[in-house]
Amino acid sequence: MTSLLTTVLVFRTNASLQTDKTTITALLGQHPEVAECSLDLEDVDRVLRVVSPSLAATQIIEIMNQKGFQCQELE
Amino acid sequence: MRTRDEHKASVIREKAISMIVNEGFDGMSMQKLAKSAGVSPATLYIYYRNREDMLEQLYEFVQTAFANAALKEFDPTMNFEKGLWVQWKNRMRFIEECPHYFRFFEQFRNSPQINRSSIGMVAFKDNMHQFVSNAVKRGEIRKVEPEIFWSLAYGSFYSLLKFHLQQRTMMNPDFKVTDAKMKQLLNMVVKSLKP
Repeated sequence: MTSLLTTVLVFRTNASLQTDKTTITALLGQHPEVAECSLDLEDVDRVLRVVSPSLAATQIIEIMNQKGFQCQELE
Repeated sequence: MRTRDEHKASVIREKAISMIVNEGFDGMSMQKLAKSAGVSPATLYIYYRNREDMLEQLYEFVQTAFANAALKEFDPTMNFEKGLWVQWKNRMRFIEECPHYFRFFEQFRNSPQINRSSIGMVAFKDNMHQFVSNAVKRGEIRKVEPEIFWSLAYGSFYSLLKFHLQQRTMMNPDFKVTDAKMKQLLNMVVKSLKP
């Protein structure tokens, strides 16, 4: 388990292909404020999980939208 | 934004373990688990990256719990007979107190496709190794291959334990392990390992 102090953000996305996964994890993975990022293609919600000490959900959504992906924070 | 909650984490963990024990690995999905634990799927992702990550973390958790239980009041410098008795009793207690952990462990051991780390087992393995080599050095047992040693020293115990868990055997419709039966087996095992 990652540190208790960081924030975990969880989103539903429309990513469906392995290449989507590669694109997204590479994109967010190189973001300086992202500590960890993963995408679960096996789940119906194609869950994107981002661990960041500082980013807000809206910023992640914006980054995803810019690349043409739908992205919604999971409640 | 979500925060972690240790109590919630342990509820999720227990639900996941019993779901796997009852329905197998394929019977456990993040969505199904969320429903049964009464949390949203998003909550599960606070703790785990995906299903596989969850399985690995669960395995590690159970392994550590087992190692801690097995090492309770155990000292690798103990005389062989005494030390082996402590091991048997500790393992027996662990399995009786947490039978679902034991079943989960067995299930994992039988599925080679799942990644298994053994970070939680370092101290445990070290203690077991020391215990045996001390006993050999003191001339209490003879040196045999580890698998042969395990088959005698622990395989015998686990066989007895399985009869106990099934509560009946081919020979006996109502079987229960007692300290006296365990001692009897222990004596025979110790005798068979003498140099």
